[in-house]
Amino acid sequence: MKRQRILALMKIQYKSLIGVPTTLFIMLLLPIALTIIFGLAFGSVIMEDTGQSVFEFLVPGLFALSGLFMIIPVASSFSEDREKGLLKRINTTPTTAGEFMGSHLLSNMSMAILQVAIIGILVFIMGYRSEGAIAGIFLAFVFMVIYSLSSIGLGLITATIAKNAKAAAGIAWIFILPQQMLASGLYPLPDSTRAISMFMPLHYASDALTLLFDGIALSDFRIWVDLIVLIFFSLVIVSAGILLFKKYGKV
Amino acid sequence: MSKSENIDNTSNELIFGSANPNAIEVKDLRKTYTGKKIIKEVKAVDGISFSINKGEIFGLLGPNGAGKTTIINILCGLINQTEGDAFVGGYDVKKDLSKIKELIGVCPQQAAIYQYLNAKENIELFGNLYLVKKEEINKRMKGFLDLLGLSEASNRKAKKYSGGMLRQLNLIIALISDPPILFLDEPTVGMDPRVRRTTWKFINSLKETNKTIVLTTHYIEEAEALCDRVAIIDYGKLVAIGPPKELIEKHDCKNLEEVFLKITGRRILEGI
Repeated sequence: MKRQRILALMKIQYKSLIGVPTTLFIMLLLPIALTIIFGLAFGSVIMEDTGQSVFEFLVPGLFALSGLFMIIPVASSFSEDREKGLLKRINTTPTTAGEFMGSHLLSNMSMAILQVAIIGILVFIMGYRSEGAIAGIFLAFVFMVIYSLSSIGLGLITATIAKNAKAAAGIAWIFILPQQMLASGLYPLPDSTRAISMFMPLHYASDALTLLFDGIALSDFRIWVDLIVLIFFSLVIVSAGILLFKKYGKV
Repeated sequence: MSKSENIDNTSNELIFGSANPNAIEVKDLRKTYTGKKIIKEVKAVDGISFSINKGEIFGLLGPNGAGKTTIINILCGLINQTEGDAFVGGYDVKKDLSKIKELIGVCPQQAAIYQYLNAKENIELFGNLYLVKKEEINKRMKGFLDLLGLSEASNRKAKKYSGGMLRQLNLIIALISDPPILFLDEPTVGMDPRVRRTTWKFINSLKETNKTIVLTTHYIEEAEALCDRVAIIDYGKLVAIGPPKELIEKHDCKNLEEVFLKITGRRILEGI
């Protein structure tokens, strides 16, 4: 693994944040817009049973959602780079598959941190106060970074299936919608329906964020169960994504 | 600074894998694609053998689908051959691909460039992938951009480039690591005649750096002007090989294009 190569590839991916409108929109503008809209719409609507505002109820889901949408730019960028022959060209250089994939994982994971930080600042400005301790907030970052791995994996699976970048952006919704509807925690669902979400990584990220923002003690085993299951899901999905893209991605 | 001085011809010191004088050697190379539906099997490369000397500009000519790009893709390690052997810089493409990748520069048929980056950023990226030092990247980049007349546009995003400029940038990227072996897959396609001539001059100037260049092209006059030797490929088979002048004399033609048409056009003329 050569640092010069990994840093060069990461730099390109960061530049795509500004240079590629889809990436900029999905990675930053959409989460920001959703946070502002939900904040303005539901900030003063109080839920009778808990006494908290609907916005406060939605905040963990908003964080989770931003990580979920990452599937689209990941799928689009891999598909587009393949279409333009860039993946093939990089394949003729001494760059190893590990360096190439490692750079993508690192850059997307760091973008997940950026997303969480931006949404965190926004919800704070809009009046949300987490009851969690600093360590809990830090752990929330860790959850989102690990969760981003599963989104990268699903992005790679999408790019494997899709013929081009436009198709990839559409196909990505196959993975986004079920998780958004069932596992994001944005919608109140009956327990039987919620049970399906146990097979989705977002369930564990969203559940842990809710617990952490509610100020639960870090010694609570539920957080650690969420963390272990999320790590398992994310590693399986990202490994499957890398293997499938390598084998069937037509690079 | 003269044009030839712009290119550093002292840094071309990467070590070849054997004492073999050939930069590239291909022995009974075959590539068969297996289809699933009506067409069961396509022989893209059908038992080709040739060798390319160090410092030679070697042209691969042939009609569309003759197998030129397939040969280049095998030599670059992008696809595996079905049978036969191929050596680049003395290294076996099946066993020593990582060593081969350090020796080669590839200018693909499709201008593979990050459109949201400018020329400098694109060149810098690929320089970094070959672990070229920053100062060296900047020095070479300046030389190449000046030679091809892209300096003024080098800070402009690639998406604003014309087709010809993209092709030139595509070529510079292939050269940034100063590779001893260069694969140019139709490097001038889509260029206007003026830009094409400038690019020919540029490729010709690379001869002074003792690079081995494998060039595929549809412009036969390009091959005649640039190549020391050419191989004509048709239906995956090698049908002629030699210096353009010799081939012209041997086939009693006026130029290489006539030779090409005489050899590859026979089947069309005979209605096969």
